[in-house]
Amino acid sequence: MTDETAAGAGWGRFIGRPGRSLTRRLIWLASAWIVVALAATGWILTTQYQESAFRRLGDMLSDTIDEVVIATVATPDGVTVAEIRDAPTLRGLSGKYWMVAEVLPDGAVRVLARSPSLAGETLYIAPELPARLQASMGDLLTYNDPGILRPPQRQPLRIAASLKTLPGRTEPVVFMAGIDRSDIEADTREFAAYVWIALLALGVGLVIAVFLQVQIGLRPLFALRNEIANVRKGRAARIEHAYPLEIQPLAEQVNRLLDHNQEVVERQRTHVGNLAHALKTPLSVMLAEAEGKIDPLAEIVRRQTEVMKGQVDHHLRRARAAARAAHGLGERTPVGEVIDEMAVMLERVFQSKDVEIDWRAPDDLAFLGERQDLQEILGNLMENACKWSTRRVRVSAGASGLGQMIAVVEDDGPGLPEDQRAAVLKRGTRLDEDAPGSGLGLSIVDDLTRAYGGRLTLGASDLGGLKAVLELPAAE
Amino acid sequence: MRVLLVEDDADLSRQLKGALSDAGYAVDHAADGEEAHFLGDTEPYDVVVLDLGLPKIDGVSVLERWRRDGKTTPVLILTARGAWSDKVSGFDAGADDYLTKPFHTEELLARLRALLRRSAGIAVATLSCGGLRLDPKAARATVNGEPLRLTSLEYRLLHYMMMHQGRVISRTELVEHLYDQDFDRDSNTIEVFIGRLRKKVGADRIETVRGLGYRLTPLAGETEAA
Repeated sequence: MTDETAAGAGWGRFIGRPGRSLTRRLIWLASAWIVVALAATGWILTTQYQESAFRRLGDMLSDTIDEVVIATVATPDGVTVAEIRDAPTLRGLSGKYWMVAEVLPDGAVRVLARSPSLAGETLYIAPELPARLQASMGDLLTYNDPGILRPPQRQPLRIAASLKTLPGRTEPVVFMAGIDRSDIEADTREFAAYVWIALLALGVGLVIAVFLQVQIGLRPLFALRNEIANVRKGRAARIEHAYPLEIQPLAEQVNRLLDHNQEVVERQRTHVGNLAHALKTPLSVMLAEAEGKIDPLAEIVRRQTEVMKGQVDHHLRRARAAARAAHGLGERTPVGEVIDEMAVMLERVFQSKDVEIDWRAPDDLAFLGERQDLQEILGNLMENACKWSTRRVRVSAGASGLGQMIAVVEDDGPGLPEDQRAAVLKRGTRLDEDAPGSGLGLSIVDDLTRAYGGRLTLGASDLGGLKAVLELPAAE
Repeated sequence: MRVLLVEDDADLSRQLKGALSDAGYAVDHAADGEEAHFLGDTEPYDVVVLDLGLPKIDGVSVLERWRRDGKTTPVLILTARGAWSDKVSGFDAGADDYLTKPFHTEELLARLRALLRRSAGIAVATLSCGGLRLDPKAARATVNGEPLRLTSLEYRLLHYMMMHQGRVISRTELVEHLYDQDFDRDSNTIEVFIGRLRKKVGADRIETVRGLGYRLTPLAGETEAA
């Protein structure tokens, strides 16, 4: 038991909090993952592109430094650089430069030679460059000129520097080369813009695809939800459609539950019917035996048989109503049909009185509940009306607002004084001992109507007799 | 008057038999559905008291068979279940009245007297219009042999139209012949009843003649039934 509870609690974490949207959860999860994955992709692509561009620039700078190193010869007062036949390094501020310098003991840098293209300017020397060069003798270090260099062009440069020793000189010499990096940077920016636009489009597309996938994927679930709602509202008797593998078992279980409920109700009803049959025939025998005899015993038997009959009727209906309440889910019963079959039958039964039942009900009006119960409710009310009427009985039914209906049964009989109306609804009360029937009719109607969450009220009809107003749930 | 009493409970049968004999009836008794069906089929009874819960064949089936064979003997059904659905199925099968057990013997006798009075009316010829038949004596109508369930107003409407079949009947004429003096004579309600009647007998049988009224005709291809 504890294991099961624990397992249940474990699952609970994955089931999600109640009241949250499954659709929204699926879309959020997928969207979050898409955004993270695409952002990472974009970042990797742009940095890689920039790095490979800088690597290309680095190679070019390294070549230039090699050329300068080859052309450089140490002299007693410094170095001389032979002419390098590379047009860009000769043309002023062309964007390609070299420079040879030495690091003085105090850390300052003194320029020994520079390319004509520098036009007397100096390449930017990063603050910790001398120290780092000395730490890694012979290696090529590259860095960006922050762009403070040289009006009017303001070329942002990529700079490489390397500390090398020259034959015939003990002090090492710093060889530097610089190249304009603005084109490369513009390229990188353009590339990044394309990448981000493409990724954004991809991301939007993916989120839409996820949304559609969730909507289409969950469609059977929505359909099942609607079908269950229809069953509850009485528009369908069971789940009719076939569903995908994952939820078909759910649909089947719902149907099995409906069948089971129906079965329980049927069983209860059969049981109740059998019991009624078993009890009432002996009651008939006792009643018939006592009839026509004038002695105290016969009188007691007659009276007590009536009481027993009333009790049996009442409790049998109670049991039926309970069975129905357990059933819960609604059935759709056309009201007009039931009124019609009752009217046809009762007019025949009360033919000697020539009773006429005038009824009106919209064709599409349906009661949300079992046919047998509506038959019981209307049958008793209409029979009662016929019993008391002089000639006319009027039945009218109609929808009244959301999910409700009203049925009115009236007659032109003597009616009931106001103070007696409540009393007849009580079980077993019988106002007229001579009238045929059990006298239980109205209390049964009241019981059943209440079981459906409805209401029975009695009043006076303009026909002159009793007016019974029923409020009951209606099927859509 | 001959009465067939169909009841399986021995004590109740004995009591009812005694009461019916005392009231002057010649009583035959059947204790199960098979025997009841046989007796009802072969003997000319004036009225039948039929319990619905019977061994072998249930009461509703027995009644259905009689009606199918054209027996119009008035039948009063006895039901112990007391559910309206049982009464409705009894009436659909062709019952004329019901009593719920337990009942007073006097009430049974009163009901039987009423049934006999009703069926004793003067013999009137059966009316027919195509597959539609109406028996004024039993106050029953059938369409292609199937019993129709009609309220008294619908029955009167059909009766009047069958007596004047083939002729256009105005709404005013229908109102005058269908309602008593004290009823509200609203000719619009005729439309409602014509609508209901159409649903029960078949819409094509009642023709609307615009501005004039209604006409009952046999369906095309239907010959006047014998």
